[in-house]
Amino acid sequence: MSATHLIARDELRLMARNRVAVIALVLLVLLTLAAVLSSWSHQRGIAELRTRHQQVAAAAFKAQPDRHPHRMVHYGTFIYRPLGALAAFDPGVDAFTGNSMFLEGHRQNSANFGDVRQSSLLVRFGQLTPAFVLQVVAPLLLIFLGFGVLARETERGTLRLLMLQGVSRGQLVRGKLAALGIVAVIVGFPAMVGFVAVVAQPGTLALPMAAIGLGYALYLALWVVLILLASGFARRGRDALLALLAIWTVAVVLLPRIAPDIAGAAVPLQNRLQTDVAIARDLRQLGDSHNPDDPHLAAFKRSVLQRYGATRVEDLPVNYKGLLAMEGERLTSGLFDRYAGAIFAAQTAQNRLVDAIGVLSPTIAIRALSMAAADTDFAGHRRFLEQAEAYRYALVQRLNRMEAKNVSYADDIAEDAGADRRKRIAADNWQHMPDFAFVAPSAATLATAALPGIIILGLWLAVATLLLTRVTRRLGARQ
Amino acid sequence: MTLWMHELRLLLRARLSVVALILLAILTAAAVTAGMVEISRQRTAIAAIPAAQSEDIAAVADYVDRTKDAGSAGYYSFHPTWDAPSPLAFAALGMRDVSPYILRVRALGLEAQIYDGDVFNPELALPGRFDFAFVLVFLAPLFVVALFHDLTSGEREAGRLRMLDALPRGGAKLLRRRMLLRIALLWAALAVPFLVAAVASGVGGVAIFAVFSVILAYLLFWMALAALVARLRWSSIANAATLAACWLVLVLVLPTLAHVAINRAVPIGQGAEIALAQREMVNRAWDIPRETTMRRFYAGHPEWADSAPLGSAFHYKWYFAFHQVGDESVATKVRAYRSGLERRDAAARILGWVLPSVGVQALLTRLADTDVRAQLAYQNRVRAFHARLRNFYYGYLFRDRPFGRADFGRAPSFTARINAAGGSGEAADQ
Repeated sequence: MSATHLIARDELRLMARNRVAVIALVLLVLLTLAAVLSSWSHQRGIAELRTRHQQVAAAAFKAQPDRHPHRMVHYGTFIYRPLGALAAFDPGVDAFTGNSMFLEGHRQNSANFGDVRQSSLLVRFGQLTPAFVLQVVAPLLLIFLGFGVLARETERGTLRLLMLQGVSRGQLVRGKLAALGIVAVIVGFPAMVGFVAVVAQPGTLALPMAAIGLGYALYLALWVVLILLASGFARRGRDALLALLAIWTVAVVLLPRIAPDIAGAAVPLQNRLQTDVAIARDLRQLGDSHNPDDPHLAAFKRSVLQRYGATRVEDLPVNYKGLLAMEGERLTSGLFDRYAGAIFAAQTAQNRLVDAIGVLSPTIAIRALSMAAADTDFAGHRRFLEQAEAYRYALVQRLNRMEAKNVSYADDIAEDAGADRRKRIAADNWQHMPDFAFVAPSAATLATAALPGIIILGLWLAVATLLLTRVTRRLGARQ
Repeated sequence: MTLWMHELRLLLRARLSVVALILLAILTAAAVTAGMVEISRQRTAIAAIPAAQSEDIAAVADYVDRTKDAGSAGYYSFHPTWDAPSPLAFAALGMRDVSPYILRVRALGLEAQIYDGDVFNPELALPGRFDFAFVLVFLAPLFVVALFHDLTSGEREAGRLRMLDALPRGGAKLLRRRMLLRIALLWAALAVPFLVAAVASGVGGVAIFAVFSVILAYLLFWMALAALVARLRWSSIANAATLAACWLVLVLVLPTLAHVAINRAVPIGQGAEIALAQREMVNRAWDIPRETTMRRFYAGHPEWADSAPLGSAFHYKWYFAFHQVGDESVATKVRAYRSGLERRDAAARILGWVLPSVGVQALLTRLADTDVRAQLAYQNRVRAFHARLRNFYYGYLFRDRPFGRADFGRAPSFTARINAAGGSGEAADQ
C-alpha cells in the first residue's frame, strides 16, 4: 500500500474516532435528507396546485356562455407558471416571483402571489433546499473536519517524523486531499442521490442534471483544496480555522448579499407607476382612440376603406370596430414589449454585474449555475413572462378577429333593447381557443446556461490547485 | 481605571481582535450606507409621483371633459398610493424590496388590483438585503465568536490560567473585565455607525435607544453562549468550531426549518383563488339581468338606492356596482387569506422568543415598520382610500352629475400616515 493511501486511511480513521465530527456528518446527512424531502414535496405540491389552477382557469374560459368577443377580452384568462422537476433541487427565485398572471386586453398585468409575500419573515433567512445545504452548510462542515489536516502535523512536529520516514510532502498532501475528498463525497452524495431519485423524468433532463452534478463536484472540490491550502499555509490549526471561517463568511454569506446591493444601485429599475405613465404618454402620441379626428386613426380608417374599396365603414364586409380593436391592441402591445424589454435589459445587466462579482465568490458562481440549469433563475422567469405576453397577444387578437368577422358593425354599434343579444357570438368559439402551454427550454439550453459557472469554478479550482502545489513545496519549511 | 486601560492595550495588541473590530465597524458603516441609499431611492420615487400623476390625470381630464361622463373619469383615472419609509427603515429594509411601496388603484374592483407587485429583480432579492439588520443578526455573532472563543482556553493553553486562578479573588474579576471590555467595543462598532445614520435620518431617541438595547441583548446572548461553551474546558479550536456550528444552526438552519414547518402548519388558500373568484363574479354580471346586480348592490349600500333606474343603454353606475359586488362576494376569502398571513407572521414572532436571530430580525423590522404587519397595514390604508374613491365617483354616477375638468381636483388624495419617530410607538406591542 502506498504512502498516500496509508495517510488517507489514517486521516479518515482519525476523523471517525472524533465523535463530534461523526455526529456533525450524520446531522448534515439528515439535514440533506430533510431538505430533499421537504423541497420535493413542496415542488410536487406547487406543481400540482398550479396544474389544477391552470385546468380550472382554462375550463372556466371554455365554459363561458354566448358573449360579445370583447367581453371575453376583458374576461381574460389566468395562467400559471409550471414548475420544472429540477426545481425540487433548487427552487431558485420561484418563491420571489409571482407565479400566476391575469391576461386581458389593453393591459399587461404583473405576475402575482409569490410565496415571499405569503410567508412570514423567515422566508428571508433562506430556504431549506438541497442546493442550500450544499452551497452553504457543506463547506462549513468540511472546514471543521479539515482545517487541521496539515496544520496539526506541522504544529505537533509529526510532519518531520513523517518526512524522516520517507514520506514526501506531495504524498502527504495527496493523502490528506484524498481523505477530505472522500468526506466531501459523503457530504454531497445524499443530495445527489436524492436529486436523481426525485426527478421524475431524468432521461430528458440528463444534461442539466449532469451540469448541476459537475458544478457541485467542482464547488466541493474547490473547498477541499482551499482548506488544504489554508491548513498547509497556517502555522497553527487555530489560525487555519479562523482564516477559513473568515473566507467562508465573506464568500458564502457576505458577497452574495453585497453584490445585489451594488448591482441594484448601479442599474436602477424604472418602477411600475413611471412605466405606466410613460406608456400612456407614448400611446397618446401614437394615436388617441378616444379622439375621432386623431390623425393616426384617420389614416388607419382610410387604409382599411381603400383595401376593401369602400367609402364608408358601414359598407365594409368586416366589422370595423373589430379591426380598430386589433389595431389598438397592436399599438399597445408594441409599447408593452418595448418597455418590458427595457426592464428585462436592466434586470439582465444587474444580474451580469452580480455574475461578475461571482468571479470573487465561488458561491455566487455555483448559485447562478445551479439556478440556470434548474431553470429557476431570472432567465427562466423571463421566459415565462415573454411566453405569457405572446399568448396574451395572440388570444386577444383572435378574439378581436372574431369581433371583426362574426359580429356585424350595425349590431356592434346598436344600443336598442335586443342589441345585446345580437352582439353575442356562440359559446363554442371559446372552446376552440388554444390553451396556454409553457414551452420549457431544451436540456441543451439549460446546460449551456450553466456553462459560465462551470468555467468560473473550474478556473478557481485550477488556481487553488496550483497554489496548493506551491504551498506543498514549502510545507514545514518555516519551522 | 488603569486596569481597564491595561486591558484595552492588551486587547489592541492582538492583531486578530483589532482587525475584527475595525472590520465590524466598516461592515456596519457600509450596511447603514447601503440602507440609506436604498431608502433615499424609495423616497425619490415617491417624491416623483405627483409630477407623473398630474401629467396622466391631465390627459384623462382632456378626454373626459368632452363628455363630462363621471363613469369614464372613474374608469380611466388611476390614483396613486404609497407607503413612505419610516426614518428607521434604512436599518432593516424588511419586505420593502419585494412588496410594492407605490400602488395605483382605480375605483373598480380592488381585489383585482391590491395584490399587484412592482418591478423588482428576483435574483437580487433572493439572498436578502445587505442592511444593518443583516450585519447584526448574521455577522455580529461571528465576531463575538472570534473575540470570545479563547478567552479562558487561550490562557490555559498559554499556561497562565493556574496563575490567574491563584490571584486574590481569583481570575473571575479579570475575566469579567475582559468580557465587558470586548462586548463594549463590539457594541460600539455596531452602535456608533448606526447612531450616525440614525441621527442623519431623523430617527427619534426612543427608537435609537431601543435598537441600542437590541444590539446589546443580542451580543450578550452570544457572549453567554461562548461562556457556556468555555465551561466545557475544551481547546480554543474546539470552542471556535462549536460556536461556529451553533451559529450555523441558530442563524441559518433552524429558521429555514421553521419556515417549512410554519408554512405547512398554516396552509393558506392561494391568493390566486381570490383573483379567480372575483373575476368570475364580476364577469357574470354581463350574463345576468342588470337589475339583479343593482338590487344586490343597493341592499348593501342603501345610500345610493334612490338613484334613477337603469335605462336600456349602458350606464357606468351598473359597471361600478358589479365591480363592488364582485369584491364583496370574495370578502370571506379575503379575510381568510389575510388571517392566514397574520397567523404565519405571528408564528414566526413566537419563534423569535426562542430563537434570538429571528427575534432580533422581527424586532428590528417591527421598529422600522418594514415587516409583514407593515405591508398589511399599508393594504389597509389602500383599502380605506379605495373606499373613499368609490364614494367620490358614486356621488357623480348615482346622482347623474356631470364630471368636469375641475372635478378631477376634487378627487380624494391619498394621505400618508403620520409617522411617530421610527414607528417607535408600535414597539410596545411586540
